[in-house]
Amino acid sequence: MLTFIGKRLFQSLFVLFGLSLLIFFIARVMPGDPARAALGFLATENQVEQLREEMHLNDPFPVQYYYWLRNLLHGDLGRSSYTHRPVTMDLVQYIPATFELILFATLISAVVGQVTGVLAGFFRNSWFDGLSRLVSYLGIATPSFVVAIFLLFIFSQVLKLAPGVGRLPIMMTPPPTITGFMTLDSLLAGRPDLALTALKHMVLPAISLAVIHIAQEGRITRTSIVENMQKDYITVHKVHGIRTPRLLFKYLLKPSIIPTVTVMGLDFAFLMSNAFLVEIVYMWPGFSRYAVTAMLNKDLNAIVAVVLVIGLTFAMVNLLVDIIIMGLDPTVRLRRGGG
Amino acid sequence: MRTKAVLLSLAALLFVGLFAVGEAENVAVINGYPVITSDPATASDWYDTEAMYNLYSPLVYPSPEGGVRPHLATSWEAVGGDYTHWRFTLRQGVKFHSGYELTAEDVAFSMTRFITMARGNSGPLGQVTAVVVDRYTVDFLLDKPSAIFPDTLALFFPVEKNLVLANIKTPGNYGEYGDYGEDWLATHDAGTGPYMMTSHIPGQRLDAVRFIDYFEGWSDEGWGEDEVPIERLIFIMETDYTTLMTLMRSGTLDLEINGGWTLPQLEQIEADPNLGLASVWAQNVTVWMNTKLSPTDDEHFRKAILYAFDYEGIVGPWEAFGNGETGILLPNMPGYVPIEPQPRAQNLERARQELALSKYADNLSDVKVLFHFCGGLDFEEDVGLQLQADMAQLGVTVEVAGPPWPEYSAECSSPESTPNMTIFLFAPQAAPTHDYYTYSMFAPGGLGWIFEAHWYFDDPEIIQLLDATRAEPDPAARLALYEEVQPLIADHALAFYPYEKPTLFAHQAYIVGPSETIVFVGPSENMHMWRINLELKEALRGG
Repeated sequence: MLTFIGKRLFQSLFVLFGLSLLIFFIARVMPGDPARAALGFLATENQVEQLREEMHLNDPFPVQYYYWLRNLLHGDLGRSSYTHRPVTMDLVQYIPATFELILFATLISAVVGQVTGVLAGFFRNSWFDGLSRLVSYLGIATPSFVVAIFLLFIFSQVLKLAPGVGRLPIMMTPPPTITGFMTLDSLLAGRPDLALTALKHMVLPAISLAVIHIAQEGRITRTSIVENMQKDYITVHKVHGIRTPRLLFKYLLKPSIIPTVTVMGLDFAFLMSNAFLVEIVYMWPGFSRYAVTAMLNKDLNAIVAVVLVIGLTFAMVNLLVDIIIMGLDPTVRLRRGGG
Repeated sequence: MRTKAVLLSLAALLFVGLFAVGEAENVAVINGYPVITSDPATASDWYDTEAMYNLYSPLVYPSPEGGVRPHLATSWEAVGGDYTHWRFTLRQGVKFHSGYELTAEDVAFSMTRFITMARGNSGPLGQVTAVVVDRYTVDFLLDKPSAIFPDTLALFFPVEKNLVLANIKTPGNYGEYGDYGEDWLATHDAGTGPYMMTSHIPGQRLDAVRFIDYFEGWSDEGWGEDEVPIERLIFIMETDYTTLMTLMRSGTLDLEINGGWTLPQLEQIEADPNLGLASVWAQNVTVWMNTKLSPTDDEHFRKAILYAFDYEGIVGPWEAFGNGETGILLPNMPGYVPIEPQPRAQNLERARQELALSKYADNLSDVKVLFHFCGGLDFEEDVGLQLQADMAQLGVTVEVAGPPWPEYSAECSSPESTPNMTIFLFAPQAAPTHDYYTYSMFAPGGLGWIFEAHWYFDDPEIIQLLDATRAEPDPAARLALYEEVQPLIADHALAFYPYEKPTLFAHQAYIVGPSETIVFVGPSENMHMWRINLELKEALRGG
């Protein structure tokens, strides 16, 4: 197992290096002048030229990349030309907010999606199956930001059942930042009330993000359950009179959720970069919004950094998914020499 | 007995209930665009400027009349006759938020820092050397004469020297001064303004509290009986107006100073008795015509565009919210001169006459005009599509495209790469405002780039007059020069101005202000000029 993880981590390094090279050059050939963007409207041409020199923008691409890589090896991702701060400082601020939100969204989609999928598959062609199919199609077809605006309007503004925007109420002072996870930091500060408030604030944006994934994962699980129910070993278990709950949980569920786990992993990494519309609607100060702002402002260092973070997330989540699947499926474990 | 107990309990509950309703909280939640840096030397965008006027005080303050008035400096004079040497006398007793008094040392240090860092709004100042004369007098030596130098200091906000020096990071780009305190000042303040920063998360949120010892004081004169100074400010920085509308209507948001509302939203706000709209400054919707590119290189062709455009059609329902005629200057600026076409309406007959005089008259079907707008800005696209429809009536093809901002702004770096027509929204963000809309946009030494994407600098009379505006020390005589130069510029049809677009600040009924309307981004957003009616807030929101 350790050899497998080590090998995958080593491969990931190459992937990230290639990714950095690619995005570094793409970011630089994109139209626009990052020095001008950094200095604002009233800067003179001399000031813009001076900053171009400071940022090595007049040097050839390979030289620029050398400077960037050298600084990266010293833990320096450069300075954001938009926020005027070190990019690492920005990432430390924004990543936990999005990470906390998408963890919650993934949890919701995993639980609701799997339960719906299992029940729909197990009671195939029942009214529940039909209803879940209809709701799933609706969920897949509706963009997250539309769900976000709808939920915000209904549950926050009209029914006033859930808080509206932000990670905490605007008037509330956040706990000292330790992990960047509002719920966890509140607990660490001895403020369970604040943690509960933070959790409530996550409900609507997390559901907005989760809806499409609930639908997808529900459908995949259902298909998998239906497929596995037709396999011989299930028929044999049925013939032997094994009760339904035991059949479901012991023999059917485990192999049926393998495809869903793979999709969940990809969904998680996907959300890291695609949560920005929901983050905008809910005023969520997250990484995804930061990434889009960096793109729109041609913030070169930030663009490269966010792409690397997204790449790293994909690599790590895929590794985690592989490990989970090895745990769920003995045939994979044997194939990869996991023992 | 039982009834008595129940009644007593009810009375107790009522008593508790009555007194449980707390007083309305004296706080204003304000939305603006992201304040990225609160360092006066690097602040550049107008949103930064809005924060500057609350946390810091400029040396001179923009006035409603268009010039500047004493603020941190009580008076100033040009030493010698060539306007390269200016002496400023400072107000005594001005306190920084730390409690220390502002002196000439702080002002000189701040100017040196501003010029050395060469960021933010320092560009228009040129090279300036600051010399301390005495505790309350400072000299500024310029590299070139400027009669309007005092006006350009409306965006110069002195910082507390010792506090900044105590927070520099070394090594940095500025030798012994390390980073000149840039990192620290991005999230802290060292100012004398009416509000003191308590926290700042760049691009997200800025919190500030009232500075009791603010040098202008907190007089109640001119305010209503229940209108009190706002104690605490929370600036949030959101861009989704659906969410902002929700916050506004729920009472979570008190004031919105970016003004990006859609028409239906404005109608909702106007219809809501608990909300109000304030108009302080407007933006000039400007469509440059590139004079170095065919077919807009022909003056008659450009004039045909001016007359062909349907001004009334584009303003339409927005007229109720103040969108209307504008010109080289904004109509509410002193010295505004209306320009052609007058009356402000489409005149296709006149457009045809101009077109017939142009060198493209015989091959109009081969002519193509490229109109670019900033991708994503619907109102800019609407202008392009309106023009497309109008010019089609004359047999001229207009192609409308909206590249994203980085590409769009980069196009305007040279006459060769600038499309025939480019549209921008110019807010009065550089001091002095008249100079910004004239010299900066039409003189060869102006701001260039998107500010001069007409690329026309061929009329010596205009250049001479614009130079004269910067050499004229008398504000009244300078205003006369601005009035004189506008028709001359307009005569070349370098741009057309579809309409002015007011920036409408939506606010709760209990937020009152501003006490002065200053046509400049920032000074009227100084919350010293706003108040809160806590009685009304309590009545509307219940505390």
